[in-house]
Amino acid sequence: MYVHVCLGCGPYVMWTMCAACIEVHVCTIARGQCRHLCNTGTRHTPYVCVCLLFVSSSLPKSGGERDKSSWGSYSPCLFLCLFVARFCSESLNATCNQRFRGMFCMQKALSAPSSLHHKVFLALPQCMALLENLPALLSWAAVLLFASDVRGLCISRASASVLNLNCCLVLLPMCRVLLAFLRGSQKVASRKTRRLLDKSKTFHVTCGVTICIFSVVHVAAHLVNALNFSENYSEDFLALNVANYRGEDPRKLLFATVPGLTGVIMVLVLFLMCTASTYAIRVSNYDIFWYTHNLFFVFYVLLLMHVSGGVLKYQSNLEEHPPGCFNPNKTLRENTTVPKAFEELFPDYTTEPFPEDLSVPEPFVQNNFVRICSKEPKFQSHFPETWFWISGPLCLYCVERLYRYIRSNKPVTITSVISHPSNVLEVRMMKVNFKARPGQYVILHCPRVSALESHPFTLTMCPTDTKATFGVHLKVVGDWTERFRDLLLLHSSQDKEILPIFQQRHYPKLYVDGPFGSPFEESLNYEVSLCVAGGIGVTPFASILNTLLDGWKCYKLRRLYFIWVCRDIESFRWFADLLCMLHNKLWQENRPDYINIQLYLSQTDGIQKIIGEKYQALNSRLLIGRPRWKLLFDEIAKCNRRKTIGVFCCGPNKISKILHKLSNVSNSYGTRFEYNKESFS
Amino acid sequence: MGQIEWAMWANEQALAAGLIMLTGGIVAVAGQFKGWYFAAYAIAAGVFVCLLEYPRSKRKKGSTMERCGQKYMTAVVKVFGPLTRNYYIRAILHAALAVPAGFLLSTILGTVCLGIASGIYLLAAVRGEEWRPIEQKPRERPHVGDTIKQPPTNPPPRPPADARKKPPAEAGGQVNPIAVEAE
Repeated sequence: MYVHVCLGCGPYVMWTMCAACIEVHVCTIARGQCRHLCNTGTRHTPYVCVCLLFVSSSLPKSGGERDKSSWGSYSPCLFLCLFVARFCSESLNATCNQRFRGMFCMQKALSAPSSLHHKVFLALPQCMALLENLPALLSWAAVLLFASDVRGLCISRASASVLNLNCCLVLLPMCRVLLAFLRGSQKVASRKTRRLLDKSKTFHVTCGVTICIFSVVHVAAHLVNALNFSENYSEDFLALNVANYRGEDPRKLLFATVPGLTGVIMVLVLFLMCTASTYAIRVSNYDIFWYTHNLFFVFYVLLLMHVSGGVLKYQSNLEEHPPGCFNPNKTLRENTTVPKAFEELFPDYTTEPFPEDLSVPEPFVQNNFVRICSKEPKFQSHFPETWFWISGPLCLYCVERLYRYIRSNKPVTITSVISHPSNVLEVRMMKVNFKARPGQYVILHCPRVSALESHPFTLTMCPTDTKATFGVHLKVVGDWTERFRDLLLLHSSQDKEILPIFQQRHYPKLYVDGPFGSPFEESLNYEVSLCVAGGIGVTPFASILNTLLDGWKCYKLRRLYFIWVCRDIESFRWFADLLCMLHNKLWQENRPDYINIQLYLSQTDGIQKIIGEKYQALNSRLLIGRPRWKLLFDEIAKCNRRKTIGVFCCGPNKISKILHKLSNVSNSYGTRFEYNKESFS
Repeated sequence: MGQIEWAMWANEQALAAGLIMLTGGIVAVAGQFKGWYFAAYAIAAGVFVCLLEYPRSKRKKGSTMERCGQKYMTAVVKVFGPLTRNYYIRAILHAALAVPAGFLLSTILGTVCLGIASGIYLLAAVRGEEWRPIEQKPRERPHVGDTIKQPPTNPPPRPPADARKKPPAEAGGQVNPIAVEAE
């Protein structure tokens, strides 16, 4: 007499609770009742993983350690855990569970020679007896080793559950309006959650990569399944078969059935999307990435059709035909090969809930009880749970796209176009009911330039209560911006001209989608902020400065360190007026130390060393050469002891990396630097 | 639409397809499936395609990101001249390589992916794109002291540069302002 691990329960019920299964080969009521717990367990695994994901991401980080608050490090581990957990639970279910038995185990039991049958089903509990003392985890390994036929199905089911979760989660970071709303509502989300939102693109990429990897696993497992379905065709339970006859060509199963065909096309779509999403393609030919990525809609439609095939079935009339029951109408040949142990192994499944105390086994466990079937088994397909997973985020995304389309359908009125040195163009416009916070960006769409392309630009001037104009500065780099500039400047003959609206020229129609959030909005919520801009990367900070010009007292910000590094001295003229105005205003209001401006000219061999005669405040703050970041950080830390300083960088990757590294280094003054990173493209 | 360089995408696809064929082939050979000769062929074809597609072509405008360690394969691929430069030939080659692997279930995905890559190469060839090797730029030695033409010929104290234009032969000896008498 010994206690063994209850196969049906797996990790969700401790083995001590299955003390009822005293005789190893007879685990009837207890096993059947344990199975209910197993079912609930498998269903809950994805939720548990998602909760763990959020909990672990929002754990507080102690000051001075490297910040690892990235989705990238947590989510792959969790997805892998989900896969393993689901795989193990499915394999456990497979050995003593009705639905898989119908396809594989029963088949083996009835038609295979008795010796093989003995080996498969009697070896199993004997090995379980051997492993009784090992913890539950290890016992799964034994199960997996013996349940070779069902392994393909277990792997495909496990990878399917990971794919369900990922296809659900991959859409959420792309709901930009929702994310902008979460960022804006300061009561809803704390600063830590808002910083998590900065990582949304990384999370999207992680989920995408996971989808690719697990699709490969899923496809491989289904190839094995296709072979098994055709080989292990069950003549007794015809409804359970996927194949139409024994030995049907597996290729027909793959390509001629609805799940098979949709699966194949989905793999091809995924291949196209995946190869076009590499970093090299995004950097060089963004269009290819954008157009192929829009195939995701095809992918989702196919996914909804893929799971409607109803391949996996469960038995719907368990009472009339309990598994392993004796059918007197069947031929004698099958009856003679049925050994005594046969009935004992197949438990009687009841639909009663699990009782709270399970101490004494029922007396009939000792008898070799044989049941008589009254009817043929009826099988029914499972409801596709993928529909539950996907429908929510898909609807949310579709609603959001519709909202964005409706909101951006009204064209803006361009009030002025100003041409700045170093290939920069400023466009000022107005739109009814357009509200934006400093640091946000918009997506511009001009049908006359390109019917399909649209490009994001940061707002440099946000609409206020008194002034409804907002503006963007765009640097002419690619073909879209070139054509846009040519179109706009064609219509305005002079360089600097601001006309009242009724005398406006006929500018091309421009549509604005947005505004969308970015990490730079956070700079007003720190007590001290360090903003580093490289070249045209100054645009988000320009909107912050414009906002401060209107009123600086209402924000939490008490000191702003503004570092702007440019290659060309003419570039400083983009915002020289703004900087001087802000500087003067703060001097007038007796807060000269509010903003600390440092301008750096990184190319040292230019001739001109001043920005302009009238920008004396900036000329005296212009330094030639590259900034020395370590010294800067030390100086800022020394002047702001024990404070939390927000570091914002919009510029080349090299500067961003250096700043990130320096922000994570602890210093002796007790100052904490929090690096807020924006991810582009 | 602008100028899209399709060849770059076809290159990524062909590389991925080569890897897929390689994996499928290895699985089939290891599992000794029926018809594993096709799998052995798929392994060879996969390796060949990966090596051929590893070096990235140079873009028409802008800088190209090199794959790490690509310069060795660039040298090899460059040797074949027009065979590798022309994308029509590459398209036909990939289509031909893909077909035999389609007879085995585990490598069929590689076939289809390589077929798609071949199609995109055809599109790139029609638009007149070509494979150009990325050359290593010779390292420019930093120009140190362009203003220093030659070192000064007189010891200090030296008069300013204009006065120094006197030919150096005259300033050979030391001219004493006060006569020195040797006692």
